[in-house]
Amino acid sequence: MKNKRLATLIGLIGFLLVSGPVLAHHGRSNYDVTSTATVKGVVTEFDWVNPHALIHFDVTDDNGKVEKWIAETNSPNTLSRQGWSKNTVKVGDQITLVGHRVKGGANYFNFSKITFADGRELNPAIQN
Amino acid sequence: MRISSLKPVVVILIALALSPAILAQTAGHSGIKKTASVTHTPDLNGVWANITEMAPSFNPKEDPSFQSWAEVKWKANKNDDPGQPIITNGRVDLDPTVASCFPTGMPRLMTEVFPFEIVQLRDRVLILFEKDYAVSHIWTDGRKLPEDPDLSYMGQSVGKWDGDTLVVDTIGLKDITWLDRSGHPHSDALHVTWRVRRVNHDRLQIDWAFDDPKAFTKPWTGRSIYRYHPDWTLEEFISCEDRLSHVGESLEQKAVKGQNP
Repeated sequence: MKNKRLATLIGLIGFLLVSGPVLAHHGRSNYDVTSTATVKGVVTEFDWVNPHALIHFDVTDDNGKVEKWIAETNSPNTLSRQGWSKNTVKVGDQITLVGHRVKGGANYFNFSKITFADGRELNPAIQN
Repeated sequence: MRISSLKPVVVILIALALSPAILAQTAGHSGIKKTASVTHTPDLNGVWANITEMAPSFNPKEDPSFQSWAEVKWKANKNDDPGQPIITNGRVDLDPTVASCFPTGMPRLMTEVFPFEIVQLRDRVLILFEKDYAVSHIWTDGRKLPEDPDLSYMGQSVGKWDGDTLVVDTIGLKDITWLDRSGHPHSDALHVTWRVRRVNHDRLQIDWAFDDPKAFTKPWTGRSIYRYHPDWTLEEFISCEDRLSHVGESLEQKAVKGQNP
């Protein structure tokens, strides 16, 4: 069942779609970087915290069951330089995230791209 | 006869012209010249960001040759996950900064992705790091390195100018830190020599030499490159804020253990 739900929620897009610098300030060994996934949900909280800003969001599967997810991305200092602020992601936003799921299968994600319902896309990657 | 009688007067006038009282009037010019020579010291001031090819380390010319204990540590620390570059970030579960919240320390801070700012003062060069908000003091006032320094995360650094290059020596580093982001170990005997040069307006180049007979069988070298960002200011990065907010474990660490939000 769980696998079926995951198949619904997560589409494998392929290798190397996620740019390297996303997690560059520490290792990516906690994530399954061999596959890139997409997750859709509704934001319940945006936590502007070090060392990674965290988006808490709800994912609803085909059967209407809601699961809590967390997606982490770059640090506030890096995001600030990319034009983000603590108000960039708002409660209630419908978001689509592309990135890697944590190893072991928990509902935890690291994303390299976020797309909002209005089509706006943001990339949080470090750009030195 | 008249001319010969004027000779002493001329001599006195020349002497007066060269006297300190007269020279004092030109002290301003002398001072300006000194100031001008000071401004010839290369200007390294500003915010710089790491764009080194193998940035998690120091773009080493050849692999370090380890002492046996250090070889074991390096093999444990390095991230061998599939799809990773040869030099990438070390394993997060063993990273003293990520896993245990230790300060990043030197010289690893110079391999981090976050920028730093160089501030040149009369007696030292400061490097202000965005990560950990750490500061490195490189003393350029002629002092020597201490003989037997107390160990610290930032170590003790002195520098001197060799033409357009700031030559820095750093010792006195705690061995709890990784030498770089990729997980190279080091001992408290590490002596880092770095030659800092602004190769053009936009690029800072640092040539590194790592001498640590306790950890390496021979010194090894590398080169880092940094890009100038005149429009950037330092932000704030604190490694373990989430950990402190979630009773000792970050939400990511809980997820790795299989715990859902």
